[in-house]
Amino acid sequence: MSDRLRAFYGQIIALAIALALGALIIVLIDESPINVFMTLVRGAFGDQSKIAGTLLQTTPILICGIAACIGLRGGMFNVGIEGQLFLGGFAAAWVGFALPLPAGLHVVVGMVAAVLAGAAWVAIPAYFRARYNTNEVVSTILSNYVAVLLTSYFTIFLFKRPGGWSETPPILPTAYLPELFSFSRLNWGLVIGLALALFVAWFFRQTAKGYSISMVGSAPKFAEYGGIDVKRQGFLVLLASGAVGGLAGGVETLGVHHRFMEGFAPGFGFDGLIAALLANGSPIVTIFTALFFGALRNGSLLLETDTSASREIITVIQALIILSVSAQVLMKRRGDSTAGERRWKF
Amino acid sequence: MSDTSPAKTQETTSSAENAVELIDVTKRFGAFVANEAVNLRVKRGEIHAIIGENGAGKTTLMNILFGLLQPDEGRIVLNGKETVVTDPATAIDAGLGMVHQHFKLVPSLSVADNVFLGMEIRRNGLIDHAAQVEKTRELSERFGLKVEPQERVSLLSVGIEQRIEILKVLARGARTIILDEPTAVLTPQESRELFQTLRGFVADGMTVIFISHHLEEVMEVSDTVTVLRHGKHVATRPTAELSKDDLVRMMVGRDVSFDRRQRTKTSREVVLDVNNLWARDERRLPALRDASFTVRAGEIVGIAGVAGNGQTELAEVLAGLRPASHGSAMLKGRDLTALTPAAIRQAGLAHVPGDRMVRGVDGSASISSNLLMGRQFKAPWSRNGVLDWKGVAKQAVEMIKRFDIRARGPEDTVKRLSGGNIQKVVLAREFTNDADFLLIDQPTRGVDIGAQESIHDEIMRQRAAGRAVLVISVQLDELLTLADRILVMFNGRIMGEVEGDSADSERIGMMMAGLNANSAASEVAA
Repeated sequence: MSDRLRAFYGQIIALAIALALGALIIVLIDESPINVFMTLVRGAFGDQSKIAGTLLQTTPILICGIAACIGLRGGMFNVGIEGQLFLGGFAAAWVGFALPLPAGLHVVVGMVAAVLAGAAWVAIPAYFRARYNTNEVVSTILSNYVAVLLTSYFTIFLFKRPGGWSETPPILPTAYLPELFSFSRLNWGLVIGLALALFVAWFFRQTAKGYSISMVGSAPKFAEYGGIDVKRQGFLVLLASGAVGGLAGGVETLGVHHRFMEGFAPGFGFDGLIAALLANGSPIVTIFTALFFGALRNGSLLLETDTSASREIITVIQALIILSVSAQVLMKRRGDSTAGERRWKF
Repeated sequence: MSDTSPAKTQETTSSAENAVELIDVTKRFGAFVANEAVNLRVKRGEIHAIIGENGAGKTTLMNILFGLLQPDEGRIVLNGKETVVTDPATAIDAGLGMVHQHFKLVPSLSVADNVFLGMEIRRNGLIDHAAQVEKTRELSERFGLKVEPQERVSLLSVGIEQRIEILKVLARGARTIILDEPTAVLTPQESRELFQTLRGFVADGMTVIFISHHLEEVMEVSDTVTVLRHGKHVATRPTAELSKDDLVRMMVGRDVSFDRRQRTKTSREVVLDVNNLWARDERRLPALRDASFTVRAGEIVGIAGVAGNGQTELAEVLAGLRPASHGSAMLKGRDLTALTPAAIRQAGLAHVPGDRMVRGVDGSASISSNLLMGRQFKAPWSRNGVLDWKGVAKQAVEMIKRFDIRARGPEDTVKRLSGGNIQKVVLAREFTNDADFLLIDQPTRGVDIGAQESIHDEIMRQRAAGRAVLVISVQLDELLTLADRILVMFNGRIMGEVEGDSADSERIGMMMAGLNANSAASEVAA
């Protein structure tokens, strides 16, 4: 328990360091950090519609974060969530505009298509990982570029809507993910994300399968010794992670954009990964870290108008968070390994 | 306390002849007191053994002496001069040298380069390899530590690596050498050579501090023994006045028996039948060569050998964690070499792995979670795939009680436990599986004496319950205590077999060094 607490403090400290460095940079560009941070808070939570906007940004980050959590818990670092999101988004959009179906069923089929597309896309790196032990970090990162460009190709050359924009035709209203409130595009995607977070948390904590996967993640040699097929679990974990990544794309196209646009979701996959890392792979904590990143994104819109800082400062702060969190993760690993060395007596 | 201590008054008169004095040294880690007002006086020119169970504070004390830790209270006097040892550099300047348990050599460099690593002899800003080789040869001849300075370390045996570590310390001008468990990786013969070297050192006026929990060695080589228990100094006495039983009593605080366990002979059915088994290591070289043996129900078969002679590979093949390249291992008629680890467990294997922290447990998880491994899909541990954590915790509480695991409760994180208690967690899981065949690799490695005894008791109980037990150990005494038969491995081969009742360690030691049973026997005769 105190281990978990220590990890929690570590993350908080990492976050604080990142924010402090961000403040320093804001001072260097002659702006008041307090002003910038207050503007961010107002932009994120200032009124009803701002809160809804923040939640709208939070939704894809949360779902991508859960995708990353599944991978992290099973010892797989899926850095290809961005690409899975793009393919999932495209697949859902295609079902939406090309496959007329009755209302209700249409949304479900679109979502299933998104899930399958995400899983199929990660199946390639997952296969090579299981069969030849290729590093999934490298292969999933690379698959992002292919996915983004492949969906661009589909959009521009195969399914382009007549007119100027690089986007597919709009989906049929039967495929819309219903909105929650009249004043915002916030939709059922958020509910799906929250339910998924709870389910995944329960799965890892309470089921035999979830236990086996966690053991593969935290102590692979122990899991192998205990009779768990480590390679097979790793393959399935990546597949599940990719499926949820695809789902995030489906939620975006069917819930928000109602079409697939080239480059429609910049960085949600990566933000989700960071949210999950910051949450130490816990889906429940990821709800809050995703909210944090959603708030940063939404709050930054107000920065441009109300302060002299550019909204790019948010990108800087995010980069600082990535650096300090990964530094903390590395330090923890080093600490662990020397602890193991000291314990061993031959 | 220091006012009443008679040693305190001696201090001024005796300190000149003492190489090392630690006076009332206390070191705390939070609420835990690792050393409590410990006094240690090591006379110049003696071999001084420090013994104690794991966690008795030996290593902490030596780390304080060597400047790796700072004491909360107490003083250090080196060669009659009070010294504040802020870091290892200060300790080295004062003539101390430490040979760690884990060798810190660079395998790709030559012997000479390793000896002078960090203090290279330079000429015109470049490393003068010829001078380093020359100096290494000088040191090696002067102290009788035979090495070939230009050989690459990766090609050398553990015994030679240790010589290089000692040479490193000597090259830095050490006159007092601390050795932390130096014999753990050596054959009996290599140990004897080491002892000769150490005696050479003291004859030369140097001082040796020797940390061990191997009591025979302490009796054999040391002049004086200091015993620590629970962080406190128990006694410092001339070795000649003490018996092995005295030492055990002082270390543990009670009588412990390591005599050969009494047993009744049984001859029952063969449970494990290994035939012409071969396997390769990570470098794809044959590591297990043509092993054939049987283990019967109600029998303990021991595998002796210096670490790294194919025992690990044998255990891994039997557990399904490494493919066999040839041969078979039949467990009650089923060939293990064709099965997955899960299927082998199903077929009746319980396995206590040698690499406890990597294979045996998930250190970051709770005791409950560790006890669950391998049975997570079985009732009553889970139903319809949903775990019954309350039930698991209840079972865990029972196992903690039955195996005397010292922990706060089933939710305690395993890596917080001591080595012995972690081993008991593994035993608790594996011995409650009702498996017919127990594969136990290094049952008591890193486990202190009190816990060793209870682990041995448990293994004997498993034997009495009719299990077939294969015990692999690098500690020969352990096998002499437990085994009905002992097989000796060298270089991947089984060199010979001895009956446990008539085993003598000399003959086994010969086989461990690669001499076959017959020539070993004749050499002993000669």
